[in-house]
Amino acid sequence: MNGHRSPQEFWRRLRRALRAAREVYEGVYIAPYRSQIHRQYLRERDLFLLAGFSDLLGVPNPVMFYTLELYPELIEQFHAWHLRMGMPQAPEGGFRCC
Amino acid sequence: MLDRPVLFFGGKGGVGKTTLASATAVLLAETGRRTLLVSTDPAHSTSDALGVPLGPEPREVLPSLWAAEIDPDVAADAYIAEVKARIADATPPRLAAEVERQIDIARVTPGAQEAALFDRFTQLMAEAGRTYDRVVFDTAPLGHTLRLLALPEHLQAWIGGLIGRRRKLGILHRVWRNVAGAAAGEEREVTDPVLEALEERKARFTAARATVTDVARTAFVFVVVPEWLPVAETDRAVRTLQRYGIPVGAILVNRVLSGEPASERIGGHGGQLEMRQEIARRFADVPRRDVPLLARDVRGLDDLRRLVAHLAPDGRRGIP
Repeated sequence: MNGHRSPQEFWRRLRRALRAAREVYEGVYIAPYRSQIHRQYLRERDLFLLAGFSDLLGVPNPVMFYTLELYPELIEQFHAWHLRMGMPQAPEGGFRCC
Repeated sequence: MLDRPVLFFGGKGGVGKTTLASATAVLLAETGRRTLLVSTDPAHSTSDALGVPLGPEPREVLPSLWAAEIDPDVAADAYIAEVKARIADATPPRLAAEVERQIDIARVTPGAQEAALFDRFTQLMAEAGRTYDRVVFDTAPLGHTLRLLALPEHLQAWIGGLIGRRRKLGILHRVWRNVAGAAAGEEREVTDPVLEALEERKARFTAARATVTDVARTAFVFVVVPEWLPVAETDRAVRTLQRYGIPVGAILVNRVLSGEPASERIGGHGGQLEMRQEIARRFADVPRRDVPLLARDVRGLDDLRRLVAHLAPDGRRGIP
């Protein structure tokens, strides 16, 4: 039985179809790269943490005193890092972020 | 040379750089230039030379002459306080205590004083041509000063590296957000406060470096006495500065004996003549000026004024 379809109903269905198509597209083309991109982003973030605060590992950092403003941001990132590395509490001797 | 807004006086310890820097500042002030004399020497001899107690803030000691002594400890405290104030707004409350603690730890490590000194140094250097017509720096003994002057170049490179990393991180973050959508978490602000802080630092280093290497703005004056050790050390220092592109404006040969050579026993006149020839040979490419050994020691503003006569660019024997 052919019921009458309102225009609203039509647009709603179209949107749903497009969303489904997009999910298929993402699943097929983007998903394989997504974790890779995320890993690369996290690696770069760790690298910046290391470059900015190498002195915490005993590697001299000549600009340490000129980058004290970076502490708030980097303590936050340090916290994210040790959680990701499987340490629920901050390792001894570093930032007390928890 | 006296027309340059920023003058540095340096030399081996004990050759009279504080005295000559002070006399030069007096000379500049007496010719109507608003002059600031700054000592970065932890020995605080400038107070003694002027006969006036000085502090970290400039105080007027003569008409149009101001003087200050930078105390590394006070400068470090001020620097730390400034950093704390700057980040206070941006720090999430739950991190505030830890950030304070980390910065306080940094305050007591050995590099803090140097960093603070350098920071103050660049601030005062920037005052030349604004609040003051001339800024005369009486610097700490050579090695330390050379390091301070070479610092901007090294720091600039290092900060530049950090900025590069941070930019790359920003790009990766945007890429990640594009592919992850909502999974990437809340939208980050368009501007990155870390990148901004780094860029601002770099700009300060670049400005400092531009000033110390600008022949039209800066001159380094070496004070030397006609003796072997100061001559040898100054020679090395002059070459180092030239390598860093910092203009060497003049060499003042202090405590030159005048008149007929006395006996070897009392004055070592013969030795002085030999060393003066050595100075002329080694520093043939740098303007030089002899300052005689005075009959009495220089002490206080009146003596400095007398010494000024030997420095004044009056045609006969002007500072080159």
